[in-house]
Amino acid sequence: MLFNSYGFIFLFLPVALLGYFGLNHFKQITLGKMWLIAASLYFYSYWNIKNLPLLLTSILVNYVIGQYLQKDISWKKNLFRFGLVFNVGLLFFFKYAGLIGFAKIALPLGISFFTLQQIGFLVDAYEGLTTEKSFLDYTVFVSFFPQLISGPIGHFQHLMPQIENPENKRFNIDQFSLGLFVFCLGLTKKVLISEAFASWAKPGFEAGATLDFLAAWKTSLSYTFQLYYDFSGYTDMAIGIGHMFNVKLPHNFNSPFRSKSVIEFWSRWHMTLSQFINTYVFTPLVRAMPKITFRNTMIATFLAMFIAGVWHGAGWTFVVYGAIHGAALVMNHIRKKKKKKFPGWLAWLLTFNFINVSFVIFRAHEMGDALRVLKGMLGFNGVVIPRIGIKSVGALKDFGFKVGSYLYPDDYFLIVMFIGVFWAIHKLHNTSELEKTFKPQTKVAMACGIAFVLCLFGMNRITEFIYFNF
Amino acid sequence: MNNAEILLTITGIMQEVLELPDLKVTLETSAADVDEWDSMTHIQIISAIEGKYRVRFALGELQALKNVGDMIGLIQKKLTK
Repeated sequence: MLFNSYGFIFLFLPVALLGYFGLNHFKQITLGKMWLIAASLYFYSYWNIKNLPLLLTSILVNYVIGQYLQKDISWKKNLFRFGLVFNVGLLFFFKYAGLIGFAKIALPLGISFFTLQQIGFLVDAYEGLTTEKSFLDYTVFVSFFPQLISGPIGHFQHLMPQIENPENKRFNIDQFSLGLFVFCLGLTKKVLISEAFASWAKPGFEAGATLDFLAAWKTSLSYTFQLYYDFSGYTDMAIGIGHMFNVKLPHNFNSPFRSKSVIEFWSRWHMTLSQFINTYVFTPLVRAMPKITFRNTMIATFLAMFIAGVWHGAGWTFVVYGAIHGAALVMNHIRKKKKKKFPGWLAWLLTFNFINVSFVIFRAHEMGDALRVLKGMLGFNGVVIPRIGIKSVGALKDFGFKVGSYLYPDDYFLIVMFIGVFWAIHKLHNTSELEKTFKPQTKVAMACGIAFVLCLFGMNRITEFIYFNF
Repeated sequence: MNNAEILLTITGIMQEVLELPDLKVTLETSAADVDEWDSMTHIQIISAIEGKYRVRFALGELQALKNVGDMIGLIQKKLTK
């Protein structure tokens, strides 16, 4: 079930909230949790019930392992290793089995996210940070539907105390209105902004398309904004629903396109994944090295980023995506160590363009498709200038310039959207900033209401979120 | 050991790792305030603190650290254990 569907908004979510707060109102705390689990499992099964046994097996096995890891037993270390192998193996089997000759299996929804979340739990249990005994609570933690499919990746110690808090078991009108506001924000990002860019990005990535300079840039920039507004829209909706249940989920984005370096970008983009990789991959890698030298931390940095890249899936595009980001981070650290700095505008321009190029590779099905778009962006296929005011390009013809067709209304809309988003990413407050200043005023309600109605019209063709593929 | 002493030690470590001899550190100082404080220098700072106080932080504890005040709190917790 998708957040951006009529069934979710008008039926599933109200029923889930009503049941949860209703049961808690009558002091049925355990039943309330069971209700939440039932709702989450229904939400998950709505796509394909065949994946449900896998989710339940993963939860059960990890719960049992976690229970023993919290005890003082002699085989703790081996059990911990087994737990890691079990989770990574499961992920590997479903994501990469196609690579080593097995028939390609459809990826079970959300596996990349609920597996990471549970690996985090096992490490924390092994290191003595959790004392969880209840199977019910553990299942709530993993299956909580706002974050089940695509994160934000949370911690047991962060999520569960909020659900346990008696104050949070009562319906809270302030939190609910904040939740509605953030949900509307995310829905708008997804339905009105991301979908528009998707329609401009898609044709350019289809096999066989030859893209001239402007068409290639239109394709790549459109995808960059499609991805950002899709994923941050999804996350806002997840966070908004969290608020309605009186649960604060962690933020995933902090105006990433304002970044002036790749290091900064990764502290602002898909933050819960970067933090997970930093905590559970990078840090142990560095600790495993004999000495913390600059060279060793750089090796660990590259490896961690590489792993973050291929975590997205099997395929050369993700290998290259991880590798170029890893290399860029290392170069960035070297320059930083030498205290070299670009002027602010140039730093932004380089960072943004690097991200944009890397997203072309991220999006393409095969490296060939990515190279085709990148070639177009470099002008290999010439430059087609729209027929506005000019009829001939004169001597520029010899340099691959051509006059094309007139601009269509859709092209003007695209130009307006590009100007709009470049302005927005620099000047508008982001979701976490808006949350802090949010007040339930009439004008905010009006704006949300209008956006919501517009979204409802746009929701007749429902599209999935990009990160559901990972 | 009181918090002020630990703050002084952390300040020294951070000035050395970040190569900023004049850096002022308070309980509220966080990575967002200091450009040089990133994932790479963070692990060096943590490792230096672990060596100095002969403590070992769990991975999950490291992620919860938001500022220097949190670090001091965690060191205190480890020292009283």
